[in-house]
Amino acid sequence: MNSIAIFGEIVRVTLRQLLGRRRTLLLVLLSALPVLLAVAFRMGGETDIERFTRRIFDTVTLTILLPLVAILFGAGAFGAEIDDGTVVYLLAKPIPRWLVVAAKAFAAVAMSIALTGTSTLVAGLVDLAPAGQDGISAVLAQVVAVVVGSVCYAVLFLTLSLFTRRALVIGIGYMLVWEGALSSILPGIANLSIRQYSIGAASAIYNLSVNRTVLVPADTAFLLSGVLIVAALIIATWKLMRFELPGGSD
Amino acid sequence: MTTLPTPTPTPTPTPAASLGATASVTPTAPIAPTAPAIELRRVARWYGNVVAVNDVSFALGVGVTGLLGPNGAGKTTLLHMLAGFLAPSAGEVLVLGRRPHRDPSVYRQIGLVPEREAVYPFLTGLDYVKFNARLQGLRDPEGAARAAVARVGLVDAMDRAIGTYSKGMRQRVKVAGALVHDPQVLLLDEPFNGMDPRQRIGMMELLAELATSGRTILFSSHILEEVEQVGTEILVLVAGRLAASGDFRAIRALMTDRPHNVTIRSSDDRRLAVALMADPAIFAVELTESGLAIQTSQLTAFRRLIAGVSRTAGVRLLEVVPADESLESVFEYLVRR
Repeated sequence: MNSIAIFGEIVRVTLRQLLGRRRTLLLVLLSALPVLLAVAFRMGGETDIERFTRRIFDTVTLTILLPLVAILFGAGAFGAEIDDGTVVYLLAKPIPRWLVVAAKAFAAVAMSIALTGTSTLVAGLVDLAPAGQDGISAVLAQVVAVVVGSVCYAVLFLTLSLFTRRALVIGIGYMLVWEGALSSILPGIANLSIRQYSIGAASAIYNLSVNRTVLVPADTAFLLSGVLIVAALIIATWKLMRFELPGGSD
Repeated sequence: MTTLPTPTPTPTPTPAASLGATASVTPTAPIAPTAPAIELRRVARWYGNVVAVNDVSFALGVGVTGLLGPNGAGKTTLLHMLAGFLAPSAGEVLVLGRRPHRDPSVYRQIGLVPEREAVYPFLTGLDYVKFNARLQGLRDPEGAARAAVARVGLVDAMDRAIGTYSKGMRQRVKVAGALVHDPQVLLLDEPFNGMDPRQRIGMMELLAELATSGRTILFSSHILEEVEQVGTEILVLVAGRLAASGDFRAIRALMTDRPHNVTIRSSDDRRLAVALMADPAIFAVELTESGLAIQTSQLTAFRRLIAGVSRTAGVRLLEVVPADESLESVFEYLVRR
């Protein structure tokens, strides 16, 4: 069996694992929120792209939904298996560790994009598409933002979950404190903010920034995102090669 | 309180087995004449200041070997080192001549059944074994998985989700997943946990059959009787040290040479103590508040003796209870040696 088939098998089992959790149902419900708000805006006759972008995409999708979903799936791709010990069934196999990491990351990113991307696309089409070309551009920019954000958050916190069982807590702390508070107060740390990478990457199509100031230009955002993703995957592979099981009580 | 000590006999090791903490200094001879499939050379593993495995050496060839030890003896740590999931802090671990740590390719020849019960609950038994077969890169994962499931007797339940399995069934599906690629070395951590007697017998027969077909099998257990029925060879770990190794029957014989502790309650403990001390099989008699504490070298002979002695002394026996029949007490004895 070749590497692609093994990759597919790990992705398949990881997706079933992630989909089987109760928290996934909650995330699906949370992902429906932007769509419901968009419908409410639309029914209320609201067609102002700026207002929609600012009020729903920025405050709900980019600030809460995207990081929460991607961090949960990223940290959960390995975390749950490490916690319950089933990771041993995966690692006691003659397969290269980079392949395991790549498959796990792919599954986590796919889940995150499926939820946040679909939510963003549908909400955007409901409210922004009627606004013409600018509206379509804004929708595409939003989708680019959630794709870039999904990959960065998921891969970063997947890697972190190999080092600590508190990856989820750290992720939520990062989301609320670093990105929610500090990055807007201290522009200097924008280069270390996945949220700013998402806005920066999207700005190649449309400026999604609330105050119209893009702290990280598009090319820099793509570059930093790429560096983050590659570095995280390399570190995760390195860590998985050194993965140790506890001795147990016996 | 009266204590009447007598000399304690010292067991003499036989060539087929060795007893005591010095077993690692004089490594156990390979069980089979072939090159050892598993070899540990003065291996130690510690976590900070805690020593989990200490200076352990042995070599195993084809066959079934039981890894015995009380809870906390270091059995799981030892198995995890053999499975490549822990690096030894000192010494060398070799499986089929290779160091398993950080070498995933070794898993083509190793099957591991971990102690932890969790198995992907959302997969059916057959799907789980197929998952293992596919990750092993087998050409016919479906066929290999069905054969492995049949081998552990789970055909009837193979299409059910593992989440609905009993503990014993989960153990069996773990074993099926571990042997689907027909490994040369099979490592099992407490494989009989949760199995009912019928399932245990089935699993014991399977392990014996695998050993007969040329596999090296090492399984851990803290229940002496389980090992007795499966393994011809055993390793006994106590507090991280190899306390005994070799042929089970020989070690068992050595263990019976240790003094047995028996507690007796009678109508007149003092008179019975005096009568018992006349017999050379009795090493020590202690009068305690709960009765007489006896040390004897031969438990079977003592059982015959006590009835006659008590009758002659005119003492009525109320209770005769062996006080140290647990495996752990045997191990404690081994460690103290």
